[in-house]
Amino acid sequence: MTQKELHNQRLVREAQKAVMQQHTRRHFIKESAMGLGALALGNLLGGCSTGSNNVFDATNPLAPKAAPFLGKAKSVIYLHMAGAPSQLEMFSYKPELAKLDGQDCPPSLLNGKKFAFIRGVPKMLGPQASFNRYGESGIWVSENLPHLSTVIDDVAVLQAVTTDQFNHAPAQLLMHTGTPRLGRPSMGSWVTYGLGTENKNLPGFVVLTSGGNNPDAGKSVWGSGFLPSVYQGVQCRSEGDPVLFIKDPAGMDRDIRKASIDAINKVNEESYTEYQDPETLSRISQYELAYKMQISVPGVMDISTEPDYIHEMYGTKPGESCFANNVLLARKLVEKGVRFVQLFDWGWDTHGDSAGNAVDIGLKNKCRKIDRPITALLQDLKQRGLLDETLVVWGSEFGRTPMQENRDGKTMPFKGRDHHGEAFSMWMAGGGIKGGTTYGETDEIGYNIVSGKVETFDVQATILNQLGFDHEKFTYESQGRNFRLTDLSGKVIHDIIA
Amino acid sequence: MFLKPSKKLFYSSAVLIVLAITAVVIYPSDPIDYNTEVKPILNKKCITCHGGVKQEAGFSLLFEEEAFAPTKSGKPAIIRYKPEESELIRRLHLTDPEERMPYKHDPLSKEEIKILTTWVKEGAKWGSHWAYQKVKEPAVPNINDDWVNNNIDKYILEKLDAEKLSPSKEADKATLLRRVSLDITGLPANKKIAAKYLNDHSDKAYENLVNDLMASPAYGEKWAALWLDLARYADTKGFEADRGRNIYKYRDWLIHAFNTDKPYNDFLTEQIAGDLLPNPSDAQYIATAFHRNTMNNDEGGTDNEEFRTAAVLDRVNTTWSAVMGTSFNCVQCHSHPYDPFKHDEYYKFMAFFNNTRDEDSPFENPVLRQYQGADNVKFESVKKWLQQNAAPAAANYWITFLRTLQPSINAFQCDKFVNGANGWYATLRNNGTCNLKNVVLTGKSELLFKYASRVDKGVWRIYLDSLTGPLIKEVPVKNTGGGFIHSTTSLPDIKGTHTLYFKYYSPKIKNSTDDGILFEWFSFGNPFPAKEKPGYDSAYKYFNDLMMAGAETTPIMMDANEDLFRPTHVFERGSWLSKGKIVTPDVPAVLPGLPKNAPKNRLGLAMWLTDKNNPLVSRTLVNRIWEQLFGTGIVETLEDLGTQGLSPTHQTLLDYLAWQHMHTHNWSIKKTLKEILLSATYRQQSMFTKELLKKDPYNKLYARGPRVRLSAEQIRDQTLAVSTLLSPKMYGKSVMPYQPDGIWRSPYNGDAWKLSEGEDQYRRSLYTYFKRTAPYPSMLTFDGGAREVCVIRRIRTNTPLQALTSLNDSSYIIMARSFAKSMDKVNGPIEAKIKKGYEEMMYKPIAPAKLNVLTSLYQSSLLKYQNNKKAATVLVSDSTIASPTNRAALVVVANAMLNLDEWLNKN
Repeated sequence: MTQKELHNQRLVREAQKAVMQQHTRRHFIKESAMGLGALALGNLLGGCSTGSNNVFDATNPLAPKAAPFLGKAKSVIYLHMAGAPSQLEMFSYKPELAKLDGQDCPPSLLNGKKFAFIRGVPKMLGPQASFNRYGESGIWVSENLPHLSTVIDDVAVLQAVTTDQFNHAPAQLLMHTGTPRLGRPSMGSWVTYGLGTENKNLPGFVVLTSGGNNPDAGKSVWGSGFLPSVYQGVQCRSEGDPVLFIKDPAGMDRDIRKASIDAINKVNEESYTEYQDPETLSRISQYELAYKMQISVPGVMDISTEPDYIHEMYGTKPGESCFANNVLLARKLVEKGVRFVQLFDWGWDTHGDSAGNAVDIGLKNKCRKIDRPITALLQDLKQRGLLDETLVVWGSEFGRTPMQENRDGKTMPFKGRDHHGEAFSMWMAGGGIKGGTTYGETDEIGYNIVSGKVETFDVQATILNQLGFDHEKFTYESQGRNFRLTDLSGKVIHDIIA
Repeated sequence: MFLKPSKKLFYSSAVLIVLAITAVVIYPSDPIDYNTEVKPILNKKCITCHGGVKQEAGFSLLFEEEAFAPTKSGKPAIIRYKPEESELIRRLHLTDPEERMPYKHDPLSKEEIKILTTWVKEGAKWGSHWAYQKVKEPAVPNINDDWVNNNIDKYILEKLDAEKLSPSKEADKATLLRRVSLDITGLPANKKIAAKYLNDHSDKAYENLVNDLMASPAYGEKWAALWLDLARYADTKGFEADRGRNIYKYRDWLIHAFNTDKPYNDFLTEQIAGDLLPNPSDAQYIATAFHRNTMNNDEGGTDNEEFRTAAVLDRVNTTWSAVMGTSFNCVQCHSHPYDPFKHDEYYKFMAFFNNTRDEDSPFENPVLRQYQGADNVKFESVKKWLQQNAAPAAANYWITFLRTLQPSINAFQCDKFVNGANGWYATLRNNGTCNLKNVVLTGKSELLFKYASRVDKGVWRIYLDSLTGPLIKEVPVKNTGGGFIHSTTSLPDIKGTHTLYFKYYSPKIKNSTDDGILFEWFSFGNPFPAKEKPGYDSAYKYFNDLMMAGAETTPIMMDANEDLFRPTHVFERGSWLSKGKIVTPDVPAVLPGLPKNAPKNRLGLAMWLTDKNNPLVSRTLVNRIWEQLFGTGIVETLEDLGTQGLSPTHQTLLDYLAWQHMHTHNWSIKKTLKEILLSATYRQQSMFTKELLKKDPYNKLYARGPRVRLSAEQIRDQTLAVSTLLSPKMYGKSVMPYQPDGIWRSPYNGDAWKLSEGEDQYRRSLYTYFKRTAPYPSMLTFDGGAREVCVIRRIRTNTPLQALTSLNDSSYIIMARSFAKSMDKVNGPIEAKIKKGYEEMMYKPIAPAKLNVLTSLYQSSLLKYQNNKKAATVLVSDSTIASPTNRAALVVVANAMLNLDEWLNKN
């Protein structure tokens, strides 16, 4: 049996198990005379219906569910570089732009365009990094990513992603929720709503942030919108409790906590006898789960127990709050069955207003901080046989201009680039993605798309596709309308699928 | 899709159809009802392809005129009284899936086909959805039964009888006391009210209790919390920077309005159009902040018009969902796919809101300036002077200007900058230029403006219509040291609407990239009036003082005057960039028209909403009140009473309540609430039985009382109350109770969560500072929304994160400590303390089995703490306690008690 067949078989088994659990649950419910009507089970068995029936079992909302079709990926690690890294110093090789360095930007690029900060006529800014071809695929990668270039044959680079939002918060929302406005569920919420989670001792959708700030759009980028709040991302923190309130209160040890949860549940059983309310049974099991989370989460979130070679590989430093630590955590979490791990790294907004925000200084430092851990993640997932079933996505909310930013028409102290939504780079790896491919092309200065345009909705459609969802049929009814993550657009990018 | 029929197929199937149709006609019965029988089939099976968005083969079933119009085939698909000639019916019978309808879907059931056929046979009478029909006084079921307390119960019992179910008996006094207190005030009843009720054995005991609770100021706080969700109230503006917003006075207005039982029609009118009432009071202006809770985007480079438009659209959507239980959002892009609202009608409705002066300004203009102390004395004095000395129109103009700084134009509306820039201000550098479009100059002799400059000898030149046009004014602008000041300049007599061009120059600027002048706003008008009258000098001085005075500000709605009028366009496919034809304010045709004499502005809209002919407003309100009490609305989908919402469980009861609310109770929310609370239906005990679990697990028939998990606010507030920490302080700026570090991490601003001091840590939850991008964690965990847009309905969940919060959150530990302290005051054995604590929580004695469990928890914890006194000291965190080990064990018990299912629920 090939690796792929083995993998498929595992997915089938998982789906069957989910169905069986539902049957067992159904049996249990009948036994306990709670009545079937109390639970919306019907749809769980058939996967997500294409109609408007929302699939939500309030008593066990995170139970694992089978996707409508067999997806190649079981889980997702989404690495979002908040602030928008410059594609021109990372993946988009533009030798022609170097020749234009320092020249006035031609009016054809400026007419009718609106920029966040560029005013008047800016100068062109050549690439601030050198590029080479790597791997058998010969994909161009900049010197800023020396590690990633060694695994580029596992990666599919999207060179022509586009967005119509040029400010961080709305663009992040568009990428993660399908609309630039607030109020819709995030991708991770959709996925946990559709698939549940495999480890019932951990949240199904975990968010990890680094760089000192939450993303611009705040928690809405992992919010559950109109989906039940149980599907919102649980932010695991690198300081303080890894999950809010996971630690026992000071002066109350684990044994006492256990005894008190037991006592609560015993009294609640009395209440159940009195009221026969099925929600009380559910509460009893949620208190048990809370206790299990208290036991398991700190362990999972503790990377210090990883062997030295792993720390060496990722460049992790236990006890610190950094991107590398979060990447290693992401691997641990998907290994434990967490469905969707969302990383946000802050500090990529290279306007050139300070050294830290310069494309030739700050950007190189940021690249250094992510290059090793991301490469290690791909290698580590591969060596554990997890890369096939884990979709890794790297990207941001938009890219940066080939012009040098001249904020308010003034010369900036450092080399920086303004926000640019027309064309930027992202990549995907694992989870059934065809490695060593590039898709899409931009013009010779990386300003406009020439071919292979990918909209944010296409990225979302592809991610859902790899998980086993037809993005057009995966809907939730709210306010009288069926909503989907991809709104009214989205095409699966078949060219990058293995 | 309707394919062109093949003749052969037509004839071969015709026989069958005639047979089928005849079969139907042989057995006549009651006429088919469009709303309850036909429309559900059309919505479910047909309208996806033959409705608002898609009109396959030119056939649509959305509107009556469309359904009977010729389709692409040239013939109508429905011929009244003639099912055998109706393509609609014929297509249902075919067997070829390419021809049969629904296209490529399972055929309709025989029953469904029969309904549609009979309906056409009977003339295909169109009907309007029940929720769009005027509320009529419904007949009260003629039912006599001992159980019945008021009319509500007759509707409930009628349906229970039909389902062969019996109602439950009345809940015991203690349960009822806790239930009704939480429902009326969001808090457990205080000791005095509780004792009065428990010792009152008269028939009126319960009604007296309801009256006492409704008289409590806590009532307004509980019900305001509901409205805060609908109004998407928050203390920040949302989006990226999510900076603070000073709008708490609106929250306070709500509390006061509920406490004074402001009739719902006035309540709505003031929120929708308080600014348009004659001589609006501060409170009436503040009420309009309802629609200023829309988000603002302060981020650099954002298009203010885009986010202004977004706010206006949100006002339309919120007005419909909050006040009329209708999801109008769909209509933004296309005619409603299921309900009879047309695309244009969305924009006609939007036109009511499109002329307010707010423009996504970072300063939140327009705001109501509320002068404090000595400044207010000056304001009252100027006001009086103006009223006595100026012409009424001028007096009104200047009083309004002092209160709102309107009419004025935000300087960021300037455009075409050269050596200048547009952000929060319009900035010009040396020789920098920009323009300001559409300035009405007719009758304007003075320009009042606000600006800042750090440069001496600046000159601001104003040209007419182009930079090479006539120089109409040269204004010397002084160095303000960087602070913003207001100034005036006279204007020459110019008629008409013009574009003004501005140029700034100062010989003192060396560097061409240094800022010369920053404008904040411009106001084109006339000089401060009545110069010839005595007292002018001092009045004008006061005016100038007040312009520079600090004031409490609240964002409000204010309409543009005719100079600043903004036309409203239809947005093609909903995009604000594709502007279609111009429309004027109006309401959808399917609903009653605007009342006679209603002006075509927000005041007219308010008159329409609060007209007793409006079918949606009263139904939506009573449905929402019902949901607050029973956990589910009579129409479960509070957000949609339309055809896509769920059907009402008791439609006649909903209409009865809506009728009563308008006609009998004269829009009094307290009276409507009281009528429901006094019903036997509400007072039932809430135990499930095996029969009910099977027949009615969701309690849609109300054979038992409500048992529902409490809201985020109720859980925290009742826990504060029972642990004696709750502060009774009302109103004022939002507070910051304990929250863990690191919840707020806002880019671009240094806003920080600063723990409030003293009792402000223990205020009711509706006073907790609400930051949109990072709401208070326990609020979110217990299903509070982020209030980015109107939160129409909170979906209750039951998750381990909730358990972790009420078990481990330091705020809950502080409450457990305080509760333990209060239990410890009881002299006697541990059982006595726990008994007392439980009674404080539940108003009734604890069952022995429960007491045993909690006592054992105490004993086992005590053993632990006796071996670890240090841990005990840490947990109790109070050095004055003689025996920290005993107290610590009691804190463990208190913490457990405050996590009990019966505590987290209303029973």
